[in-house]
Amino acid sequence: MLSIVKGIVELVRGMTITGKHLGKHAVTLQYPEEKWPMPERSRGIVVLLSDKETGALNCTACMLCMRACPTAAITIDAPRGEDKKRQLKVFQLDVGICCFCGLCEEACNFSAIKLATKYEFSTENKEDLVWDMHKLQEVGRDVPYEARPKKKPAPKPESQSQPPQTVNPVAAPESESSEDEKKEGEA
Amino acid sequence: MSAVRTEEFMVNMGPHHPSTHGVCRLLLTMDGEKVIKIEPYIGYLHRSIEKICENRTYHQCIPILDRFEYVTAMSCNYVFSLAAEKLAQIEVPERAEYLRVIMLELNRIASHLIFFGTTAMDLGALTPFLYALREREYIMDLFEMTCGQRLTYNYIRIGGVSRDIPAEFVPKCREAIKIIDQKVDEYMALLNGNPIWQKRTIGVGYLSPELAVAYGVSGPILRASGVDFDIRRDDPYSIYDRFDFEIPVRPNGDVFDRYMLRLDEIKQSVRIISQALDGLPEGEIKAKVPLKFKPPAGEVYSRIENSRGEMGVYILSDGTEKPVRVKTRGGSYNHLQVLPEFATDILIADLVAIFASFDIIMPEVDR
Ligand code: SF4
Ligand code: SF4
Repeated sequence: MLSIVKGIVELVRGMTITGKHLGKHAVTLQYPEEKWPMPERSRGIVVLLSDKETGALNCTACMLCMRACPTAAITIDAPRGEDKKRQLKVFQLDVGICCFCGLCEEACNFSAIKLATKYEFSTENKEDLVWDMHKLQEVGRDVPYEARPKKKPAPKPESQSQPPQTVNPVAAPESESSEDEKKEGEA
Repeated sequence: MSAVRTEEFMVNMGPHHPSTHGVCRLLLTMDGEKVIKIEPYIGYLHRSIEKICENRTYHQCIPILDRFEYVTAMSCNYVFSLAAEKLAQIEVPERAEYLRVIMLELNRIASHLIFFGTTAMDLGALTPFLYALREREYIMDLFEMTCGQRLTYNYIRIGGVSRDIPAEFVPKCREAIKIIDQKVDEYMALLNGNPIWQKRTIGVGYLSPELAVAYGVSGPILRASGVDFDIRRDDPYSIYDRFDFEIPVRPNGDVFDRYMLRLDEIKQSVRIISQALDGLPEGEIKAKVPLKFKPPAGEVYSRIENSRGEMGVYILSDGTEKPVRVKTRGGSYNHLQVLPEFATDILIADLVAIFASFDIIMPEVDR
């Protein structure tokens, strides 16, 4: 008998607590129709940023982001042209591999790569998840960013005969480059 | 009339049983309704995190280790950074230490809220789950605001933290912990007196202190068995020795105590956070650590008190950019080991309660 009374008291107490929520607004949203505003730092898809005036990519093909990436999601091919400068030929991001850690953004000295707040990029084909430079640039067109002051490139040491790197150093043996040294001590 | 012939039979619980929280498979030997033997089978979530880390630089290990125990990824970030800092003897700026403590404790609260919600759900009460996840959302918002992610933070780095907190963080954090502190009382009112809840938890799944120590059980489960041990106080790391907080200990070692202890811990974490917010100094958030971080050769083990017991990382370094060996230790592994000891004629329903009260998460076991 006592336990029945106790049970009823507890039942009423529990119902009072849940009942308090009856008139309150829902805390959920009907997702595809409505969306939460994303915080400014939110780490969504990786995009390439373009110069606000010229519209050209900011990327100088220094490959720091490729080296920083823990999952080897970025592939860069940038052979040296006539004037010994690297020409960006391939910049590929495998969105399916990327873990959205943001290390590439931190590694870049030229405000050329950023994790935007966008997050909707589902597709039916696995192949569509490999994004090339143009797609990365298009998606990144309207992404706001603050350009970092451009630094002068460090004087290059003699003997610079490096084969273009297409493999991420995660898998490949370590390689040194002048750009890398430049970044050292800044992080 | 001859006696009815009975025989034992096997039941597979998991790997996709809703109450095994991930992919744990328990092979149960049953005698009628009683469980007489429990054999956990693990490995369904093995991602070889330790081996992956051997091929990464120290900075790259941190996002990988985010996945080691993803409910409290801040602790994973922190314990690895702590080990690397010990190895290279890096002095961490004051502000970074405070931010780390705030984040670790917020993460502990978030983890305990998940525990509270899922345990109640496993025992048949759905409402607490919805409430707990709603309150956890405040913390997720704070994390997202600071580091951009809700689960895999990659926030605590070697030498400090990756970014400073935004301006609105401190007022929002104060508000969040105030709400959570009140809600914990509401949770207790909702469940503690409930006769069904009491029947299913009080006296169920007694773990003796001797057995707990013998199996290396740590964290809230150990303290719920009456052993007063907390790494935050007994082997202090970071700046925990500056805060005034209590270590809740409970004597009974049953499911109810393990549940109550975690709710008590949320209250203590709230205390730590509010003290840390009060004392938050200005200044640097990261020590200078080169991108090519090469700690001296040697070995180090660091451990912290996570929401699931002792979490540790052992690093063996040969002085290059990449660690030679990274070994992780998660509390859940030991907690799963002690589970077969409970197979003394309990019902499956009790097993669900015991499993839930252990708060085992499988990525920490399989790694
Ligand atoms: S680090 Fe920046 S500039 Fe260098 S290759 Fe990557 S995106 Fe381009
Ligand atoms: S976010 Fe991380 S995983 Fe993705 S491309 Fe950048 S560095 Fe690689």
